[in-house]
This record gives sequence, C-alpha cells and structure tokens, in this order.
Amino acid sequence: MFDNIINGFSSILAIGPIIGIITGVFIGIIFGAIPGVSAIMAIAIILPLTFYVDPIIGITMLLAVYKAGIYGGSISAILINTPGAAASFLTALDGNALTKQGKAGKALDISLFSSVTGEMIATLVLIFVAAPISIVSLQAGPIEKVFLLLFAFTVIGSLAGDSIPRGLLSCCLGMLFAMVGLSTITGASRFTFGVTELMAGFTFTPMLIGILVMPEVINTIRNRTAPHHNLSLKNSKNRGDNRISFKEFRSVFKTILKSTGIGTFVGALPGLGSSTAAFMAYGEAKRTSKSPEKFGKGSVEGIAAAESANNAVCGSSMIPMLTLSIPGDDVAALLMGAFLIHGLTPGPLIFFEHTETIYAIFAGFLLTDLFLLVIAKSGFGFFTRVASLKRYFIFPCVTIFAFAGAFTAGQNMNDVLILIVFTIIGYGMRLVGLNPAVFIIGFILTPFLEQNLDQSIAIVGTDYHLFFASPFSWVFIALTLFFVYTSARSKKKRAKQI
Amino acid sequence: MDRRKIDVVISTCLILMSLIILTNDGLSEGGVETDLGSLFLPRIVAGLIIIFSATIAIQSILKLKRNADINEEDIISTEGFMGVNIYIGIFILYWLAVPYIGFLIATPFVMFAVSYLLGGRSWFAMTAMSIVVPLIVFYGANHFLRVFLPIWSLA
Repeated sequence: MFDNIINGFSSILAIGPIIGIITGVFIGIIFGAIPGVSAIMAIAIILPLTFYVDPIIGITMLLAVYKAGIYGGSISAILINTPGAAASFLTALDGNALTKQGKAGKALDISLFSSVTGEMIATLVLIFVAAPISIVSLQAGPIEKVFLLLFAFTVIGSLAGDSIPRGLLSCCLGMLFAMVGLSTITGASRFTFGVTELMAGFTFTPMLIGILVMPEVINTIRNRTAPHHNLSLKNSKNRGDNRISFKEFRSVFKTILKSTGIGTFVGALPGLGSSTAAFMAYGEAKRTSKSPEKFGKGSVEGIAAAESANNAVCGSSMIPMLTLSIPGDDVAALLMGAFLIHGLTPGPLIFFEHTETIYAIFAGFLLTDLFLLVIAKSGFGFFTRVASLKRYFIFPCVTIFAFAGAFTAGQNMNDVLILIVFTIIGYGMRLVGLNPAVFIIGFILTPFLEQNLDQSIAIVGTDYHLFFASPFSWVFIALTLFFVYTSARSKKKRAKQI
Repeated sequence: MDRRKIDVVISTCLILMSLIILTNDGLSEGGVETDLGSLFLPRIVAGLIIIFSATIAIQSILKLKRNADINEEDIISTEGFMGVNIYIGIFILYWLAVPYIGFLIATPFVMFAVSYLLGGRSWFAMTAMSIVVPLIVFYGANHFLRVFLPIWSLA
C-alpha cells in the first residue's frame, strides 16, 4: 500500500494536477463563500470542464472544489451570519458572535485550521481503511450486492429529509427515470414512446445540473428582493484578535480530534451528511467543555468542533462510495457520476483496476488540504471581496455555465432541453418536499441494481431461497430494518417536540 | 398554497402512472428474453411508488378531513413566482433561439435579461459582463474543450 501511496504522490506532483487543485481550491472557496451558492453547485458546473482532461486532474480538481467549498461556507457564516452551506450553521452561531466582538480574524483562523485538520485526518482514514474494506467487499457476489444496494436505497431514502415516504418516493422516481432508454441487460427500449432521442436515456450531466444546481438559481430569483449583504473583513487593533495563537489551537486540539472522529464516522454512514456531523460534534464538545456557557456566544471551541466535523465528512463520505459503490450523500453521488464519466467505476475493483489513478487521487486529496491552508490563509481579504459580488453578476454567469455545461455533455441542444425539464422537476420536487439528492442517488445506482439482480437470478434459478442463504443477506436485511426503525422513531420524536 | 392538496393531486398522478406501468406491456419494445424480463424492475418500482404515494396522499387527506392546523412545512409560498416564470421563459426562448442565431448573439441578451430580472441596474457593468463572459465561454469551449457551441445559421 505504501508503494501505491508513493506512486500516487509521484503522479499528482505534476503541473497539470497541481493547477487543477489550485483552480479547484479557488473556485471552491469562492462558491462556498457566496451565500446561496453551494459547493455542490460549483462541482456540477465544473464537472463538464473535466470531461476533456486526465481523470487524475479532473477528479482531484472536483474534490478540491468540494473540500474548499465546504470550508468556504464558513466565511460568509462568520462574517455576515449567513452560512454558505447548511453545515456551517453552527459556525455562524459562534463565528458571527466573535465577528461582532471584533475578532473575525480569529474566527476565520480557527475555522480554517480546524477544517484542514479534520479533512486531513479523515483523508488518512480513507486511505488506510478503504483498501482493506474493498478486499472484504470483493467477496460479495451479485446476491449480496443486491441486498447491499437495497440497504443503501432504503437507508438513504429514509434518513434524508423530514419524511420517510417522501425520501423513499424520491428514490423510486430516480430509479424509474434511470430505466428510460435501452435496457443494458435485454437491449429492449423502455419508456421511449417512439422517441429515438430517448433511446440512450437521460444524459447525466444536464439532468444533474437541472436537479441540483438550477433550483438554487430559481430560489435566488424568487428571493431577488432580499437585501444584499457585503462581506467585509475588519481587522482589530489588537493583533491577538486577528489570529489564533498556538496556545489557543492547542487548547482546542482535543476537541478537534474528537469532532474529527465523529465527522469521520458519520460521513462513512450513508445518508447522514455533514450537517448531522457538525451538530453531533458541537453537542458533544459543549457537553464536555469546561466553559459550555460560551457556546453560541463566540466560542472558539464551538467553531473548532463544528468545522472539523463537517470537513471530516468530505474524506470519509468517499469510503462507502469507493468500497461498496454507495454514495453516502448528494456530493458523493455527484462525484460518483464524475468517476463514471471518467471511466472509473467506484467499487472494490477500482483499487485493483485503477490502482495508480485512485492513489493519485488520494494523494491529491492530501495535497488539497495543504493548498487550502495556504491559499485561504493568504487570501481572506480577496475571497471576501469576490464573494461580495452582487447576485445579478453571479447568477447570469451560473445560467450560462449551466447551459454550456449541459450542451458540452453531448454537443446537442436536446441536452439543454433535458436541463430545462429537470430544472422544473427539481424545483417542483423541492416545493413538494421530495429530495433531489436521493433522486440522483436512485438514478445512479439503479443500473448496478438491475445488473446484479439479473446475475443473481441467473445464479439461483428457481431456488429463490438461495437469496437468503448467505449471512450477508441477513445482515443487510437486519441493518435495513434497524435503520428504518430508528429513523422513523427519531422523526416521530422530533415531530412531537415541535 | 396548501401543500396537502398538491400532495393528493401529485400522488394520484403518480399512482395512475404506476398502474399504467404495471398493466401495459407495450412500454417495452424488442430485446432478448431473460428470466426477469425488461419490465420486472420498473414494475417493482411502480409498485413501491404506489405504496409511498398512497401513504403521502392518505396522510394529507386525513389532515384535510380533520381540518388540522396547517403547519409551516405544508405551506408553499407563491411569492416571487412571476420572476421564476419569466426566468424559465427566458431559458426556453434561449434554447429555441441558439440553434438559429448562435451562442454569441443570444447569450448577451439572456445574461442582460437575467441580470435585470435579479435587480441589476448597473448598466455599464452588466453590458460589459454580458458581452465578455459569452466570448470567454465560447473561446474556452472551442479551443480548450473542443466543444463547438452553436453559431449563426440563418444565412
């Protein structure tokens, strides 16, 4: 494994990948810092640009956008109390309180250092855990994979959002849309209604941009009368307020480690995501803190806990994707799409079929943390100015990038029509409480389910009891029931509290 | 707008659609014979859609019948919808126009219109952005990505 890691570093330490990472970090921080624009939007818009470069450059660039975007969310959270990403809600609570005390520099510093520490540790966990898990998961045959995928669908559908039926319905709709076009198993054309353009199914990129990105633009248009907040970084006369000292960092280091552990664990479970990790870590840090009364009123420890946990999710959310082909959240689903577009099928085989590429991507992950640290630390002022751009400059550009991105996928105008149709569907789904991210996960995983189901039937023939002969099947059935039960119970409890 | 009523309408549509999938063999054409058949998984999914849609619809109907207090999450605000309609209209016009007048001519108008819709009144900056950004995108797509965005084809 160490040989692979060293080879990975030798592949990533070239001009192309490094330019990709630097570009990704810049784009990620800027998009993350702009309120109303998220990292996922940045990844979806950048995705078509990566079609034409080497997978190592393209994927590391997307991962850099992801990591930097999650961090970037904390800038607007701290400076104007508007989290750029949902996971930065708690950072806004303490960070903005510090800003009001004239200690914005300190808040930005601790947020950056905690983010980078959390990300780096989670990435190391990913590197050292993913390959061994993939060896175990290689033992799984088609039958086990069917149960694994059913487990993933159920858990993601029931954990995401506020209502289990709506989550599961979103997943089913995604599955149904994935089955439009020629069946990869039988070659039959399904749900095409004689339209030849539908034979190849819905093109992934325009659908993705339509479902995940454009509804954000529409939301901004709906709220276009809301006042614009300028981000500004005011330095205090007291130098100690503008930075975090080594002593202060050391005092919260234990919290960072603990929160990173929580973030890494939560990220590795499908369906929970960075917001859950941030809330859990923040709660735990407050519970064990010597000064819990400061939480919510400008606690450095609070920022450290929330930021290290939500950034740790970035690395660990790749574990189920790379080892079991299960994207844990919307960003992982998007990245899984990117892997597939680049000809890399996430799953246990990726470690054997594309060893050099995957370890180069891991090395890129670690390198991204270093670039994020340097670029963000030296450019707080620049990023706050760029993120203050008025929305009427940002969103027309997003519209055009979305159009060009959709067109790029197949170089035809039908893909732009797909973009428009899925923009309307994506926005409609949000309005009625369906979950677009779960829809995308259902869309991506269905071909794998269909393939494994077909192979399973070929194996068992008419002896259907063989489906339940493997202990894996029972483990996944039990896990599915457990997750659905606990999710239903916690949602009921929450509803009662409200 | 009351989301519970919309839930009932959407659920009914989804249930009807699923029933068509369950009963109509003509939705799949050609292909080889397999143990499962081409419509096995779509029909399983259609069955699940019926179950989940019915659950959502029944919950909403019960709430409506009880005259239960409407929660915040059950209200769909229609504020700002006119802007959304205009935006989608602009996008559809853009899609229709680009194959004829080309990306470089259509895009500045679209960018300017979206800027204006978002409340932009800095005429010079908006005009400059609307001209420069399409040029950069067109040039970048053409030279770096080998993506040839549509050009004027009326001649």
